[in-house]
Amino acid sequence: MGVSVYIGAEAIVSPLGQTAASNMDQVLSGHSGITLQERIGWKESDVYAAILQGMSGKEKFEQLLEQSLGAAAEQWDPSLLSSEDTLLIISSTKGGIAGDITNPFQPVVSRLETRFSLRHRPLVISNACISGVVAVNTAARLLKAGLYKHVVVAGSDVVSDFVLYGFQSLYAVSDEPCRPFDRDRKGVSLGEAGGALVLSAERSSFAGEPFLYLGGAGANDANHISGPSRTGEGLVRAVSKAIGKAGIDSREIGFINAHGTGTNFNDEMESIAFGRLGLEHIPLNSLKGYWGHTLGAAGIIETAACLQMMRRGSLAASLGYRSQGTSVPLNVLTGNEAPETDIFLKTASGFGGGNAALIVKKI
Amino acid sequence: MHYCRITNEDAVLDGEKLLSFEGAADTGEKLLALYRYVAPDYPKFYKMDLLSKTSFLGVELLKSSCSGLASAPEDAVALLFANSESSADTDIRFRDSYEIERLPGPSLFVYTLPNIALGEISIRNKWYGEHMFAVFPNFAPAYFVDHSALLLDDGAEWVIGGWVNVRNGPDALIFAMDKGENRSRDGFMSRLEDSLEELYRD
Repeated sequence: MGVSVYIGAEAIVSPLGQTAASNMDQVLSGHSGITLQERIGWKESDVYAAILQGMSGKEKFEQLLEQSLGAAAEQWDPSLLSSEDTLLIISSTKGGIAGDITNPFQPVVSRLETRFSLRHRPLVISNACISGVVAVNTAARLLKAGLYKHVVVAGSDVVSDFVLYGFQSLYAVSDEPCRPFDRDRKGVSLGEAGGALVLSAERSSFAGEPFLYLGGAGANDANHISGPSRTGEGLVRAVSKAIGKAGIDSREIGFINAHGTGTNFNDEMESIAFGRLGLEHIPLNSLKGYWGHTLGAAGIIETAACLQMMRRGSLAASLGYRSQGTSVPLNVLTGNEAPETDIFLKTASGFGGGNAALIVKKI
Repeated sequence: MHYCRITNEDAVLDGEKLLSFEGAADTGEKLLALYRYVAPDYPKFYKMDLLSKTSFLGVELLKSSCSGLASAPEDAVALLFANSESSADTDIRFRDSYEIERLPGPSLFVYTLPNIALGEISIRNKWYGEHMFAVFPNFAPAYFVDHSALLLDDGAEWVIGGWVNVRNGPDALIFAMDKGENRSRDGFMSRLEDSLEELYRD
C-alpha cells in the first residue's frame, strides 16, 4: 500500500496579484506583469521585467515567502504549519543576496521558523531554475516514505542587480517582453514572485479539493553547465521517468506546462525533447510571458497556476507566442482552451544541466 | 561506504591520507595539487570555480577506491550535495566584477549557483541521475541519511553525498553508498548519521 500524495492550497504573490486566484484572473485575461523598468539594468539600461512595487529590495525575499506561506495556510489548515508532522521546503536560487551575499538564506529561514513556529528546520533547495519542481518531487518522496504527513513548499526569488547584470552579461535578456517558443524570441524577461503549495498524505487537511500527485523525476543533461543539451537528453529522461513513476500512459497527459524561457536554445531544446517523447501534439504553454522567469519560484508558481487552470477548466494562452519557432512544431496554445484530460505535466530545465518533471491529476 | 575528506591540511580517502597540502599557498594551489594527483587529464578542471573543483575532485577520489561506481548505470547515480555557503565564494567574485572592475563577468556568473558543481560531476561521468543541492546553517548529517535512503528507494543504485564549503579553505566530506547498504537500513543506515558526524569532525 503506497501513500497517496495530495497537492493543493496553491498561493502566488506577484506583480499580478496577492493570491493564486487573483493572479489567474489576470493571466486568463491576457495581462502580463512584465513592464519596461527604466534604468534598472547594467549601465542604467531600461529592461523589461516583472517587478513588485511597494516592497523594498532587501525585505522582498522574506515578505514574498511569508505572504505565500500565509496564503497557502489559509486554504489548508493553518494550525498544521507548526505541527510535528510538517516540514517546510524553501526553493530559491539567490534568496536574500541583496542583503547579505555570504548568507542569502539563513536570516530569512530563521525568521520564518519563529514567525510560523516551525517544528523542523526548513530544507532550502538551491538547484537553479529547476529548484521548484525538485522541491515538489522531494516533498512527495518524503511523504511516500512516511517521514512527514505534510510538506509545505514555498519558493521565491527577486530581481537583484546581481541576477539582472548576470543575465545581461550573457546577452540573454530580451529587449521586449519575452516570447517563449515564438519564431522571433530574443531571450528571457526576469521576474520576481513568491509561491507556495501544500503536499499532504491527508486529503481532508485541505479546505478545498486537492489534486493527486502521480509522480516526478529529475535528470541531468551531463552535457554543459550553462547551455541546454541540443538533444534534450536530460529532459527526455526526466519526463520518461516521471511518466513511469506516475504509472500512466503518455497519451493520458492532456496538457504540458513547459519551462519555455524565451531563449533560442532552451525553447529549441524543449521542442526536440517533446518530439522525442512523442508529446509534441499535446496542448502546451509557457507562463513566463505573464510573470517573467522567476527562477527558484518558477516551478512553484507555475505548478500552482496549473492547479488553478485545471480547476477553472481553462488553460491559458502562451503569451508572446505568434508563430512556430522551433524545429519540432509544438501545439502551443494561442488562446485559452479547455483541458482535454485531467492529467498535466510540468517541466523545468536550468543552469547546471538540470531537468525535472512532475505529473498531477485532478480528482 | 567509501568516503573522502578534503580539508586545509590534506586529502584523505577511506581513512588513508593521500596527499598533504603543506606548502600550498591557497585553496587554488591545494586543489591543483590534488588534481595533479588524482585526475590530471581533464582540462575543464581549470575553468571550474572552487566549489566545483573541490566537489569534482572528491568524486574522482571516490572512484579510485570504489570500483562499482565506474560501472554504475548512468541513470542511477544520484548526487545529494549541501553546504552552508551556497555559491558565496563565486558570488562575491561576480559582484566584484561589476562593482569594482565595472564589467560583469559572464564566465563567473555561470558559476553563481551551487548546483553547477553537480553539473560538472555529471558531465565528467556522463551521469544522468537525480541531483539536489541544499543549503543549511551547518553540517547536516540527517539530511544525507534521510534523502540517501529515499533516493535509493526511488530508483537510484548509488548515492554520492557531499558536504562542500570553500570560503575558508576546502572543507569537504564526500561519500558513496550503493543500494545494498540501504537494504540493511536497520543496521548501516541507523548508524550513518553518527558515522558522518564522526568523519566530519575528525
